[in-house]
Amino acid sequence: MATTVENPRPKAAKPKPHLEPDLCKGCLRCIESCNHHCLMPGHEIDPRTGLIPIEVNLENCTACGLCFDACPEPYGLRPEIPEGQPEFVRPEDADHLKRPPRPKPQDVPDALRELPSGATLVLKGNHAAALGALLAGCRHFYGYPITPSTEGAELLARLLPKLGGVFLQAVSEVATVNHMYGTAGAGKRTMTFTSSPGFSLMLEGVSYMIGAELPGVFVNVMRGGPGLGNIAPEQADIKLACRGLGHGNTHAIAFAPSTPQEMLDLTRLAFDLSFAYRNPVVILADGYLGQMTGRVELPKALTQPGLPKWAVSGDASHRDNLISSIFLAEADLEAHNRHLDDKYARMAREARSERWQCDDAEVVIVACNTPARMARGAVAELRQRGVKAGLFRPITLWPFPIDALAEALSGASRLVIAEASSGQLEDEVRLAASHAGLALPPIAAVRHSGGVLPQQDEIVAGALAALAREASATAAPRPAAPCDCSDPDCGCGDEE
Amino acid sequence: MATQAAFYERFERHAGGVGLKGTSTHYCPGCGHGLAHKYIAETLGELGIADRTVTVSPVGCSVFLYYYLDTGNTQAAHGRAPAVAIGHKLANPESIVISYQGDGDLASIGLAEIMGAAQTGIPISVIFVNNAIYGMTGGQLAPTSLVGQKTATSPYGRGHLEGLPLKMAELIAQMDAPVYVERVALFDAKNRVKAKKAIKKGIKAQVDRKGFTFVEVLAECPTHLGVTPPEAEKWVKEMMLPVYPLGVKKDLLAERDWGTLPAPTFEPAEVAAVVGAGAEAPQRFAQGFPQTAWGDDIALKLAGSGGDGAQTAALLLARAAIHEGFDATHIPSYGPESRGGTSYADVHVAAHEVGSPAAPKPHVLIAFNGPSLTKFGPAVAPGGVLLHDTSVAGEVPAVADGVRVVGVPFTKIAAELGYPITKSIVALGALAGATNLLPKESFLTAIRVQLGGKKASLLAVNEAAFAAGFEAAQPAN
Ligand code: SF4
Ligand code: SF4
Ligand code: SF4
Repeated sequence: MATTVENPRPKAAKPKPHLEPDLCKGCLRCIESCNHHCLMPGHEIDPRTGLIPIEVNLENCTACGLCFDACPEPYGLRPEIPEGQPEFVRPEDADHLKRPPRPKPQDVPDALRELPSGATLVLKGNHAAALGALLAGCRHFYGYPITPSTEGAELLARLLPKLGGVFLQAVSEVATVNHMYGTAGAGKRTMTFTSSPGFSLMLEGVSYMIGAELPGVFVNVMRGGPGLGNIAPEQADIKLACRGLGHGNTHAIAFAPSTPQEMLDLTRLAFDLSFAYRNPVVILADGYLGQMTGRVELPKALTQPGLPKWAVSGDASHRDNLISSIFLAEADLEAHNRHLDDKYARMAREARSERWQCDDAEVVIVACNTPARMARGAVAELRQRGVKAGLFRPITLWPFPIDALAEALSGASRLVIAEASSGQLEDEVRLAASHAGLALPPIAAVRHSGGVLPQQDEIVAGALAALAREASATAAPRPAAPCDCSDPDCGCGDEE
Repeated sequence: MATQAAFYERFERHAGGVGLKGTSTHYCPGCGHGLAHKYIAETLGELGIADRTVTVSPVGCSVFLYYYLDTGNTQAAHGRAPAVAIGHKLANPESIVISYQGDGDLASIGLAEIMGAAQTGIPISVIFVNNAIYGMTGGQLAPTSLVGQKTATSPYGRGHLEGLPLKMAELIAQMDAPVYVERVALFDAKNRVKAKKAIKKGIKAQVDRKGFTFVEVLAECPTHLGVTPPEAEKWVKEMMLPVYPLGVKKDLLAERDWGTLPAPTFEPAEVAAVVGAGAEAPQRFAQGFPQTAWGDDIALKLAGSGGDGAQTAALLLARAAIHEGFDATHIPSYGPESRGGTSYADVHVAAHEVGSPAAPKPHVLIAFNGPSLTKFGPAVAPGGVLLHDTSVAGEVPAVADGVRVVGVPFTKIAAELGYPITKSIVALGALAGATNLLPKESFLTAIRVQLGGKKASLLAVNEAAFAAGFEAAQPAN
């Protein structure tokens, strides 16, 4: 990597200036600084630069040094090499001036340290995620208060100082994500709690973090939108997390926990994955889950984070590092995007899901977050009524666990998607199925928004209605629709 | 003695360091940025701190500061450099963090970030290069452009809608937290010496852990002023100086000391104490999951007005069930509707795993006031229990088949005990008395754990309230 050259400004033996004409831009700023008229505007264009360098006549030079300070170029006007010393050598050729090689940065691995086991905790979702972050070794929290995520931040404000950690309430979500960018750039584990409008504001920074390949954990406790909406639960940021992480070619693993236990476990896991892939990880919770209290078992170990070798951590061995998302040349940026694409492709292995009662299910209900619990209740109720229902719960929304869904659907003739949004989860299911070439059974939607979650009885009714539709469809098969269109791309001719 | 200026020997990031780009900057001839860079590089060499320095490059002409400065480097989004710098500083308090910004970056799009950073006082060194125009995007109006100044986006001169020049150094100096603010210029030898000194002072202050420092450098952008560099120097001197007076705006270096930060700990014992790991498990009293007609996932709703303690009682109930090894959830109604108005809590207690945590048709309702009784009473599932406070007004509505209605004067009992706030505990006692959900001792243990050591004096009061509620709800009544 780059090295430093000796740029001596000896005070005792004052040097006179030396100029390599091709490093002079002819700006003339140095001329006025010399009271002895040693420096004069030049007259000849330097063919190497197309610029006119100054002319130097040091006859009257007193070695006052003022001209050095006037030259904007690092290697423009330079101190002359005193007599008896080797001749001036261009910096790039100056092997003999090179400083000793720097220590190379090494990856310091994370360490797991055993935690005493004890009583089951009783925690609300936001608090569980906060403890998950502490156990994952996060000691840097930045955030801006926003309901219904704030309890997470408030708990960390209390606990982080006890662990020598940093809690900083930022002036905005924009500042928050940029504090995270800095701390992540230094190779440290950092996180925030936010809710939908706040997450929108952070997306610029998330794009920069992805571009610069920085880890960080965003817990978005989703609330109702668009705009100010309300503070009740919604799941309408699925599109942001899966398709809309700021500008450019961006993706991040997006978890959808459904219990306080998962808030803790997935937040912990999020830190590991965000460092493993050098990419942010998003936890999408809903307002209910953030506020919901439940039982939580702590893990058996905590993480003492190491330090990645790419960090800009303010020491000699990491001095050559750069955190940046700029790739000026088109080919370089395309190569970077290909690299990111490869990484996103590797993330496919992180797809996680839960299947419950799907083995013989005729109707599979897809739901995540708190609605997945309503769906679980619905499956139990349907089974009691003798209906073969199953629950498929994506735990990662991106990457979507499409292979597992395909298995869950192997015997199903109906799919019910229950969500607190106007179809964002369904869009993810459809898109993932389309990419995977998976034909989905007919989909029935059970949707709410505005702060209302799909309730168990609605999901039960939705599943029963979907099955009833199938029954009547089987009884009286729809006649092959005669289509008189002449569009060759119309599927009318393909219908079985 | 010779020192090293912290410039890379070869600018390898500048188009691969090939040819002249390896040793010269991307700046236009005579650009003030080069001088500001030089003074920073020399300062880092003279103070011997380049190894531990992190420089944050902005967006603008100086976006490629990291081509040149031989330090740890980070490139930030437009305007966000000070926020990024704080992230670096707090990650490594011993590092020296320099945030370098131009006028569009700092004084326009990044105003919130620079004001926020300055207000924290966190020791970072901000170098603000003010040349009164946007360089990189091609000479548009800057917040620091002069009145009447013609730019690409003020072709008739900065006028009516564009406001007046923004004096950042004065603005920052007005804030209490920054420790050193100075404005300098580059247009002649005398001022360049001062500029170099100020930059060094600002950075040295961080080495000495003094606090936030801000040096505004009036600089030349000959290209977009459309003049030669010497003419640009003259323009800064004659046109900018009257608007942007030079000098020290604030210097509290002698009296301020920001100090440093403690090191983070990962010691299991310390972390365990903070997160509550390793706490002794409370004793269990239940002989298996409660035998009721309500199956293995029991739904309860506790409803009242804001101060009734419905949430407290609900949390204690969930805690007691979890202590017994069951799954349990509690969801509060929250937000504006819970302030002053109705506040209700849904609780589930399940043998294995709670399904839906909502309780639209609860097996048990505890109603603390009339409106809750009216609203939720009819929803109680057939065969359920409706517990309500008979000391407040309210009619028992028509209920489903087999719903047992139990009236207990929660408020009156609590008041007679002299502790009206224990109303929710009375209700909890009544719940224990009216159902066989959990043993009495489970509730009392949950109350004890919840109160912790801190409020032990309240324990006896709470126990008395619980016992009174329990008695009042005995089937015999
Ligand atoms: S060192 Fe002083 S006298 Fe000599 S050329 Fe430079 S400014 Fe002139
Ligand atoms: S200041 Fe430097 S670049 Fe400008 S004319 Fe003088 S030597 Fe050349
Ligand atoms: S446009 Fe102006 S500020 Fe930008 S490099 Fe050129 S002279 Fe400097």
